[in-house]
Amino acid sequence: MSAAETVRLTIDGVGVEVPKGTGLVEAALAAGIEIPVFCYEPRLGPAVGACRMCLCQIEPGPPKPQAACTLTAQEGMVVRTALTSQVAAEAQNATLEFILVNHPLDCPVCDTGGECPLQDLTFRYGPGNTRMTFPKRTFEKPIPVSPLIALDRERCILCYRCTRFSEGVAEDGQLVAVDRGAGTMIATFGDEPYRAPFTGNVIELCPVGALTSTTYRFEARPWEIQDVPTVCGMCPVGCNVNATTREGKVKRILSRNHPEVDDGWLCDKGRFSYAHLHAEDRLRDPILRVRRRGFEEVSWERALDEGERLLREADGRIVTALSGSETVEQAYALGKLLRRGLGAHTAFFAEESSDALDAFRVPLSAIRDADVVTVVGDGPVVERAPIVDLWIKEARRRGARVLYELDEEAVRGAKRAILIWCGHGGHGGATVAALAQRLGASGAFYIPETANGRGVCDAWSCSDDAESPSPDPIGLLIVSGDEAAANPDVRALAEKAERVLVISMFQGLAAGWADLVLPGTSYLERDGTYVNLEGRVQRLRRTVIPPVPDELAWISKLAERFGVEVSPYPSLVFEEVAAIAFGGIPFGGIGERAPLPTAIGATAPIDVPAEPSDNGGLRLVRYRPLFSGPAVERVRELDFQRPQPEAELSEQDGRARGIRNGEEITIRSNGTSVTLRARLSRELRPGVVRVPETFAGDLKPIVEISK
Amino acid sequence: MATEPRLIVMAGTEESDLTRLAEYEAIGGYRALQKARGLTPQAVIDEVIASELRGRGGAFFPTGRKWAFVPKPDQNPNPHYVVVNADESEPGSFKDNEIMARVPHRFFEGCLIAAHAIESKNVFVYIRGEYTGPYEILLAALKELEARPDLRGDVTIVLHRGAGAYICGEETALLESLEGKRGQPRTKPPFPAIQGLYASPTVVNNVETLATLPPIIEMGGAEYAKLGVPDSRGTRLVSISGHVERPGNYEIENGTSLRDLIYGLGGGIPGGRALKAVIPGGSSTVILKGDEIDVGYDFNSLLKLNTAMGSAGVVALDDSCCMVQLGIRISEFYEHESCGKCTPCREGTRWMTQILRRLESGEAVQSELDLLLDVCDRINGKCLCPLGETAAVAVASYVEKFRAEFIAHVDQGGCPFGESSPLHDVLAPVAVHSPATVPA
Amino acid sequence: MSTYYDEVQEIKARYPDWRSAALPALRLAQEQHGYLSPEALRECAEALGTTPAFCEAVASFYDMLHLAPIGRHMVEVCTNVSCALVGAQRVLENFEQELGIRAGETTEDGEVTLRPIECLGGCGWATVVSVDHHYRTHVKPEDVPAIVQELRNGD
Repeated sequence: MSAAETVRLTIDGVGVEVPKGTGLVEAALAAGIEIPVFCYEPRLGPAVGACRMCLCQIEPGPPKPQAACTLTAQEGMVVRTALTSQVAAEAQNATLEFILVNHPLDCPVCDTGGECPLQDLTFRYGPGNTRMTFPKRTFEKPIPVSPLIALDRERCILCYRCTRFSEGVAEDGQLVAVDRGAGTMIATFGDEPYRAPFTGNVIELCPVGALTSTTYRFEARPWEIQDVPTVCGMCPVGCNVNATTREGKVKRILSRNHPEVDDGWLCDKGRFSYAHLHAEDRLRDPILRVRRRGFEEVSWERALDEGERLLREADGRIVTALSGSETVEQAYALGKLLRRGLGAHTAFFAEESSDALDAFRVPLSAIRDADVVTVVGDGPVVERAPIVDLWIKEARRRGARVLYELDEEAVRGAKRAILIWCGHGGHGGATVAALAQRLGASGAFYIPETANGRGVCDAWSCSDDAESPSPDPIGLLIVSGDEAAANPDVRALAEKAERVLVISMFQGLAAGWADLVLPGTSYLERDGTYVNLEGRVQRLRRTVIPPVPDELAWISKLAERFGVEVSPYPSLVFEEVAAIAFGGIPFGGIGERAPLPTAIGATAPIDVPAEPSDNGGLRLVRYRPLFSGPAVERVRELDFQRPQPEAELSEQDGRARGIRNGEEITIRSNGTSVTLRARLSRELRPGVVRVPETFAGDLKPIVEISK
Repeated sequence: MATEPRLIVMAGTEESDLTRLAEYEAIGGYRALQKARGLTPQAVIDEVIASELRGRGGAFFPTGRKWAFVPKPDQNPNPHYVVVNADESEPGSFKDNEIMARVPHRFFEGCLIAAHAIESKNVFVYIRGEYTGPYEILLAALKELEARPDLRGDVTIVLHRGAGAYICGEETALLESLEGKRGQPRTKPPFPAIQGLYASPTVVNNVETLATLPPIIEMGGAEYAKLGVPDSRGTRLVSISGHVERPGNYEIENGTSLRDLIYGLGGGIPGGRALKAVIPGGSSTVILKGDEIDVGYDFNSLLKLNTAMGSAGVVALDDSCCMVQLGIRISEFYEHESCGKCTPCREGTRWMTQILRRLESGEAVQSELDLLLDVCDRINGKCLCPLGETAAVAVASYVEKFRAEFIAHVDQGGCPFGESSPLHDVLAPVAVHSPATVPA
Repeated sequence: MSTYYDEVQEIKARYPDWRSAALPALRLAQEQHGYLSPEALRECAEALGTTPAFCEAVASFYDMLHLAPIGRHMVEVCTNVSCALVGAQRVLENFEQELGIRAGETTEDGEVTLRPIECLGGCGWATVVSVDHHYRTHVKPEDVPAIVQELRNGD
């Protein structure tokens, strides 16, 4: 770094050189010195200087202590923290005394106790006694901000982190401060729950025990728990998380900041879905269809025998329906078994995948720095890959133009244009890659529907080179995982198959239509790797021991019976895949925060098949809502987040039809209609109406709308 | 000197109804604007710098210098804004109320001169919500002005009404409120001149400051600077209230003695009582004892007594008043008006009130008096904006100047004044706990 | 006749940013609904293009915006220092007596809400009483019955 870009300053006598523009809190950290903070959190936008915990003596400047968090390092600045300044020490002590004046000090029964910044900073900088002899301010408590979050207003120190998140990061405008002065309270509107995709982040942002998770409340003490670093498997973003476990059970999921992927945010689906591990209908034993007797639980030995029999009887006429939630290693192992052992090359993927995007590979964080962000495909980004929506919002706040309809001139004219495909079609990213190539975009993303769709595709194709025509009729349909089991297209295939083998976690999904059900595991129970929508290979770690053998273990055993060597160890399986698909990176080299492979330049022009064009009326876009799917449906606390009977349409289309937000509208296509509430959106182009799958009924692709 | 003030801001009000555009023009109104428009923006700024005019809202910052901080349009292409602080809410001050009500056109003329100086096309007047009377007068005057493109030029003036929050008189809180948010102050820097309304270059000026501009432009900055005393040039509208015979607003030349204000213009203390104390510049200023009034009413003279003109609200208190009760009332005011953003103000003002109430009840021990001063000390200098700090400084000054009276409350186990003090048990909004709801 | 929604759109047009219309829009909603009921806040949010929670957050910061029902008339007695020094407390108490309610309450017929208020900016004309947002100045305790009578007689 050249000297011109840095400044030198002194903090408690320690000289330090930092890049120009570095905040004082970070500059002090670089010098190994703590400036204590509560309200300061750079991810929430500009510093607000509210809590006054960071007061330091700073020269040049007025003699009174300054809020260090609001200042940036300047050349020649002399900063004195509580370590060397009586003024700063007194100021910080005063701040803590004021904070504690009305704090209930109920640490023994507080979930945050033991991992509480207020406790820690009071321990280091605060008064050892109290001079407050008056009744403390009291509030009714705890208040259910939602079924997921409890609010204790007495513990709240009004740092406004949660409300700043709601207003300035998630932009949901639902968690706010009401009233004024000492009576200020955090609240939602009336009794309405905080219902939005990212609410759980406020629990982690809260520096005290004011906002706690109802699902973690009174579940564990900080000294009894272990945090296991892994990645979320609920969507293709692959947010980095820590799974907090206690006595072999997952108790909560916390974000684990990967600055290029998630910036430390996590959606409620990723945070709260872990309870599906303990779902009532979780399968613990294999289930076999027994002629004339229905279904019965069988031992694993018996199940493997039956599995072998099904595979042999199908005589290669096998189709494998993959979920896209398998690990790379599972998919590869399954492919190796079926393709090399049985010559069964036919796989059904939920969606296409394309390598063309590799030329436009950039980290998700590049969206933030774009000047034009274009979302094409008409799918709702937040429902498919929630964190991507947060990056887009941040880009908009920083002044980027965000378009939901392709404007070629805008993309061409941009310095840093990012294209994002979200929706049906798109040929696994080939379309958006071709656009990016043609228009000179600096990065492009394709948002698949599944968490590891890309990785599963790669792994399957690595597992053998041969191909074979699709079998007809299908002798055996192997349904790998819950997403495939829940997919209506897969169910339709099953109707045509002679035999069905399902791998699933849940009785409710597997029962009734399979000849053999092998219990599956969750992403929280597996070791292995996922490839996210950026093309980043990330490590999944087993956070708890599953109640059933993991897939790789029994695939390995089954493969042995067909003379195929499949290691039961993810590390060894990964190395086989990596040698072909991931440039030979070692399993141990992925690390806790995986790097992004460099972009591979495209040489030839990318071809894409033509899309069918629209013809009159509004185009209906059905989508799978974020809060849906086998895991979410098994978490009672998430019920309130399930989709509302709403249809989203552009403001222009709404205005043209005299439709206002919240009004009832009827959506028709020849012969069929549904009635839903209208939601007018700026994040949708005219000519399209978006409806959650569950409410779309039998509507055809082209619809009419009326009040 | 105090008895024959030279009217600058209020000039012409004795003879004419200056709320009417015709009458204002008849006495030469809007000529200063035409003169200013004939000058370059920089020349107008220079003229105001030469006048040594300082802000009349309370902070007393040199107006011309404030304007000079605003980047030129070629340095920052964002729209530039003139925002008027007409949120007068400081207990003791009611001068802007009268200025808007009586010389609305002089005020608007000042707005347009300021707009010309910083090359702004947009003026927002943030007028406190309770000021229905002045608002209606301004509205009528604005209608007249809008019908005259020759005067208004291409500048748009928007009247924006507040909704009841003292803190919105703090300039950054005012900007937040004008942006439609909760009126909580912003941290500075960045200063409004650089990033103000909608993050664009903005000057925030007080009503009186702006109403002083037309006479300055008309007579020339140097001429204006001949009035008053060093560092406090020109005239000032002083609000005199409390225990005086003739309360009201008086335009005085800066430097007039405080004694003249109270005993001359104010007509002295009613009922033959003795003057016990004077709040010299609105509730947020350090109190003066009755024998400290032989001082010039100007910045430097009052600074020597560690106090200030503030927003020029002079409140006289006679010897029937209990200083602990005064402390309660002032502390409750700041507690009620604390925005709740920063910790020391939010928690500290509430604690101050609690301690003061115990002192008044006679249940306090000596150490709690020290605790009160310590709490004040711990608020002072630690807050995000001046609100909490002035509360602490003002209340601490009551203790320091009337310590014997505070100690007497402890020693006697009660208030020596009790109900005989007019400040006894005054109900403050913060103390009202029953919500104003209609019975079911 | 223009609707509330349309009026708010006009207000929004005065400002470079829609948010600035929040206070005028809330004031207007209060004038139409009597107070800022949940429905009024929802309507306001819809017209502004924001959430009801945002509207409540803003409204609850300001003393003149009411989130609970108030009387048809509002009587606000300044009890800050200058007014208190010349007898504001007795004015307030006389209002309590005449109206038969305590400060902060509303008469049972829903006609009048009485409350003390911080400095109204009329210190030289003490005691200042704001009746339906118009100032009465130099109010003496003995003036109170007439003011109450006037409110009761008025439409």
